[in-house]
This record gives sequence, C-alpha cells and structure tokens, in this order.
Amino acid sequence: MIDWAYMWEAVPDLINGLGMTLLVSFLAIIFSLLAGAVGCALRVSSVKALNYLIAAYVEFIRGTPYLVQVFFVFYGLPSLGLKLSIFWSGVVALSIWASAFHIESFRAGLTSVSKDIRNASASLGLRAWHHGLFVVFPIAARSALPSTLNTVVSTIKNSAYLQAIGLVELTFVAVDRIAYEFRSIEMFLAICVIYLAVVLVVSALGHRLERRLDRPYVGR
Amino acid sequence: MSLLYEYRVFLFAGFIETLLMSLTVAIGATGIAVFLATMLQSKIRVIKTAGYTLCEVLRDIPLMVNVLMVYFILPLIGLGFGPFWSACIAISIWGGANGAHILRAGLQSVGSGQRETAAAFNFGPIKTLFLIVLPQAMPVIIPPYVSLLTAVVQATSLGAIVGAQELLRAGQILIEQTTIMRGGSPAYLVYGSILVVYFVLCSLISLVGARVEAYYQRPYRGSGAQEIEKKIKDIEASMQTSA
Repeated sequence: MIDWAYMWEAVPDLINGLGMTLLVSFLAIIFSLLAGAVGCALRVSSVKALNYLIAAYVEFIRGTPYLVQVFFVFYGLPSLGLKLSIFWSGVVALSIWASAFHIESFRAGLTSVSKDIRNASASLGLRAWHHGLFVVFPIAARSALPSTLNTVVSTIKNSAYLQAIGLVELTFVAVDRIAYEFRSIEMFLAICVIYLAVVLVVSALGHRLERRLDRPYVGR
Repeated sequence: MSLLYEYRVFLFAGFIETLLMSLTVAIGATGIAVFLATMLQSKIRVIKTAGYTLCEVLRDIPLMVNVLMVYFILPLIGLGFGPFWSACIAISIWGGANGAHILRAGLQSVGSGQRETAAAFNFGPIKTLFLIVLPQAMPVIIPPYVSLLTAVVQATSLGAIVGAQELLRAGQILIEQTTIMRGGSPAYLVYGSILVVYFVLCSLISLVGARVEAYYQRPYRGSGAQEIEKKIKDIEASMQTSA
C-alpha cells in the first residue's frame, strides 16, 4: 500500500523542508528566549505601568489563536507600514507567540525563589547583581526549565502553521507534493515520522539538561 | 470599522460556526480524554503501553499536520467528512491526548490511602471513583483543563485551513473580496478584530473556569491549598501550550 520508492524520491525535498523548519524554529527560539528574558525583567520591574503592559501582552497572546496572529503579522502589518518577507514574518510571529509563554514561565520561576534568600545574600554581603546572577538565577532557572522546554518544543511544532502563509517548510513541502501527486499517505507518514524524531530528540536533550541541573539536589 | 459593520451578518454567521465548532471539540476532546485516560489507568500492560504511545505520538505531531492529515487521509478510506467535521475530529483527538494526561495526573494526585479506605468501606470501583477520588482530584484537574479548553477553542481557527466556514475563513473571504473590489487590504482591521473576538471568548471561558475552580477548592481553603497549587503547576508545565 505504501509506495516506498516514491517516498525515497521525496527525500531531498523533505530535507530542504526540514532545514527550513529547523532554521525558522531556531531563530524563533533564540529571539523568543531573549524577548522572554527582557519581558520578564519588565514584568517584575518596579515600574507599575510596565508590569501591567507586559501582563496584558502575555494574556492577549495566550488568549488568541496562533494562526490568526500569523495572518495578522503577514497580511495585516504591511498596511500598518511594516512589510516583512514570508520568512521574517514567520520568525516574528513565532517569536511573539513563544515569548508570551516564556515570560510567564520565567516569572513563575522567579516567584518560586523564596524571599528569605534575599536576606541571606545581604547578610553575606553580596552585591545586588551577585545576588541576582549567582543566587536567584540558578534557582529560578531550575524551576522554570520544564515549562520553558515545553514551549521550545512547541515552537518547533508550531512552525508548521507557517505553511499557511506559504513558507516552504516541512508541512508545506508535503502538502505541495500532495496537491500535484496525491500521495497523501506517504507524505503524511514521512513528515509525521520526521516531526516525531525532531521533537523526541529535542525533548531528550532537554531532559538531559534538566538532570544535569538537578545534580546538586540529588539525594535530597 | 464600517466595513465590519457592513458585513456583520456574514461575519456573525462565521462566529456562530466557530462557537459550534468550539462546542463540538470541547465535547469531543473530553470524550476522547476520558477514553485515553482509562487506557492509561488500565491494569493490563498492553493497553497501558498502547495508551501512552498513542498519547505521546498525538501530542508530538503538530496540530496543523494533524488537521491536514485527517482532512486528506480519511477520504481515502471512504470517510469523507467535509471540512467542518474533519477539523473537529483532528482537534478533538489532539485535545483528547493532552486531556488524558491531565486526567491521569489529577487522579494520581489523590493518595492511594483514599482508595484503600474506600475499599475497606466496601465501595465498588465506580463508587470509589465518583464519590471519593474524583471530588479530590477535581481541584487539580480543573485549572489545566480550562487552559486546554481555551486551547482547543483557539484551535478551531485551523478549520479555515481546510475550508470550514468559521470566523477566520469568513474574515479571509471578506479581505479577498474587499481587496479585489475596492483595492487596499483591510487585513489588519479584520484579523485584528478576529484576535479581539477570540480573546474575549477565551477570557469568558477562563472566567467561568475560575468560578468552577473556586467551587472545587472550597474544602481546601486555608490548608492544603499550597499543595494543590504545586500539583497544578507540575501538570501545567508538561502541558501542550500551542493552539
């Protein structure tokens, strides 16, 4: 039933598509993590107005469908004076979406650090930035890690939405070939296996990182 | 704005379709979640492993691929459902796989002592589940489950990809026609408004969810609330965030 020879023929196209998926996801992961860090800093800063602004941003992005966000960025922003290529629209939309989730997990990580630690640092004579970098950050990072990794993996999966604006990534390659050659079972089987492999590899790497960071706590 | 007002009937029809889809996927996802959760809880090894594998695979495949796959592949085996139902089926399956893990984690959060005590009082499995375990699992299940419901409601926008006549599709058609007939793309206005509509819809769901959550958390006010909070966080950290 499955035409393996046909699948073999499609491999070069699929690899190109996978390359684009990985590239877009990689850029979006980097940008969203940076935006998440900055957003989280603003979210917990002492300026009340900024806190509310970031909180509203997070709520709005999380409360709206990602597909509509993608369309808004690609079709809507040009008439507001910001014209981006398909590729950069995809990166921007993906980063906007993921950053909202990162801000929230980073914030949750920060609030998990108990307040007493601040006094402990102060009594040891640590400066504010020492306290932040060497005390708060390692603790917060550990507790924020699981949900951050989840968002990172979702970023890769959500890059599939970008086929809707015509970015030639993995899903687009499959759908495009189906439109001409009607081999839907072969193509979907192929991309499902590829997505599964990518997601499992990335999650496995994430779990390794988690275990490594957990070393000081082993046996406690 | 006048454009939206001019086509209000058309857009409203799309919105109604979105609501219908949301209701369908909410029910469908819940049904599938209960089914898969039963598999995950099964004492028979094979069923349990099958359940875990199924959930993992369904969660790892992008929702977009899932929707397209159901739309393109089911007709090949003689099950052509049309855009509305194939989108609903795909989203329900995806939501069900995620919901199953929420239910499983919620049920497991209830200590085994509770079940043993119930057994000691000669409660059958069904009585134990509904009278003892579920009431205690509910405060842990509800918050992530409400997030999941908002996620599947947002996911109904994927119906537009396969051509279901819901809000996003209506918006696309409106944009195309206006661009052709009058020139100048109203995309930012239409898509912006759709974003707002979904935001309001999801906020309403969260609001109702918060009420239900408060109802189930009543017995834990004061004591035990922190423990529940921690369990909820653990579930939410592992939950699918996309839609």
